[in-house]
Amino acid sequence: MATSAESRNGFVIVITVIIAMLLMLAPLPDFARYFRPEWVVMTLIYWAMALPHRVSIGVGWLTGLLMDAMMGTTLGIMAFSYALAVYLIARFHLQLRQYPLWQQALTIFSVVLLVHLIAIIAAGPEIDWIIWMPVLTSTLMWPIMYAVLRKIRRTFQVS
Amino acid sequence: MMLALLASLALFFLDSRLDYFKPVRSALSTLVYPIQATASLPTNFADWMGDFFQDREQLQEQITVMSATNKLQSIRLQKMQALERENMRLRELLGSSFRLQERVQVAELLTVDLDPFSQQVIIDKGNNYGVYVGQPVLDAHGVMGQVTETSHLSSRVVLLTDPSHSIPVQINRNGLRAVVTGRGLGEELQMDFLPHNADVRKGDLLVTSGLGGRFPVGYPVGKVVSVDFPQGKAFADIKVEPAANLSTSREVMLVLPGEKIHTEPLLAPTPAASEAQATAEPTVPAMSAEQETVTPAASSAETTVTAPQTQTEEAADGDKR
Repeated sequence: MATSAESRNGFVIVITVIIAMLLMLAPLPDFARYFRPEWVVMTLIYWAMALPHRVSIGVGWLTGLLMDAMMGTTLGIMAFSYALAVYLIARFHLQLRQYPLWQQALTIFSVVLLVHLIAIIAAGPEIDWIIWMPVLTSTLMWPIMYAVLRKIRRTFQVS
Repeated sequence: MMLALLASLALFFLDSRLDYFKPVRSALSTLVYPIQATASLPTNFADWMGDFFQDREQLQEQITVMSATNKLQSIRLQKMQALERENMRLRELLGSSFRLQERVQVAELLTVDLDPFSQQVIIDKGNNYGVYVGQPVLDAHGVMGQVTETSHLSSRVVLLTDPSHSIPVQINRNGLRAVVTGRGLGEELQMDFLPHNADVRKGDLLVTSGLGGRFPVGYPVGKVVSVDFPQGKAFADIKVEPAANLSTSREVMLVLPGEKIHTEPLLAPTPAASEAQATAEPTVPAMSAEQETVTPAASSAETTVTAPQTQTEEAADGDKR
């Protein structure tokens, strides 16, 4: 009984992560490309916060590895930064759940900033101010993301 | 967390320093290919709908325009083939071998949006079509870039505009050789290491020089848009606009490695080339007629003997494929 409850609807998590990956790849008009929120990181953050026993560091790491392969970055960069994001969120998930949404969004801001920072340090010296825009858009998107994913979690009773 | 850190560091070094890791990377790319393909579905579908609901007048207009350009190009091709033959003969006299035509294979871009700061695209042909790392990629107007990574079903192409990409070029007007490097943001390239007295002008066409052996000779790379000689700097500041439509081309051509000398594009195996074959065929008699008038009397006997030989060789070659 316990095992069947534990493995309940895990596929929903996988599907949301895959949808987030599709959103990362979906073609956008040129001006919007620089503002694309970090969908995958945000999805992982939500699941790590809601169900830390399901989305572990290993899951974050694997997702990051797939993203590395997809985006063509050196293998291991995104894997590491995603694992780090999941670790931080899982470490503080009890506190984060208590925060109001805007305070959560601030946490998202710092975590996505960290993820971005790692990617930029690894990518080299080519820095432009616009490179930070995804951090801002991710923060702004967080309340919507949170509502949508919570709805999904409750509808499918993922636990 | 420590485990993830160590695993990431290990991967990082293995991937960036060692070549053994290629298969793993390629396997992972194959794994994510379905996601990439799905992401490009909506655009493909929109394109298909656009094609489907095009009205008749538009299509007819398109056909007229296309047949006109086709005629124009086949006329140009007549002249071209005569000139090619002449060039071959002259080179034979000089004792140097030279490849004029390469065979190409058509591939299509996956419309997925990668990191806007790295200049890469993904194409829908991989190991299964014999795509290899370092293969030159062209579009209808010029050089686009080269293949950097292949997986079973797709491969990744780094564009000319990537800051880590350089291509050896020469100026079409005077043969001056140089290197053109990408600049990352924006569709602009830069020409490196030319001194202030170099003979470069605005509007010069740059073509590949073939040095380095990776890109075939003579394909357009770009056009010089500005030449500046900044005081106190050792080299001129030259900006180049790429000839290829890097952001709008959907179909690209992969240059196949060819050992044989192809004097005529008639027997190339790609479907695009075989379409060209139909239009080019009527020009063959015209070409050979012109060839005889061009040839000086002394060498005409020799060339008329050798020309059929190369043709039959190619016919055999084409049959084999």
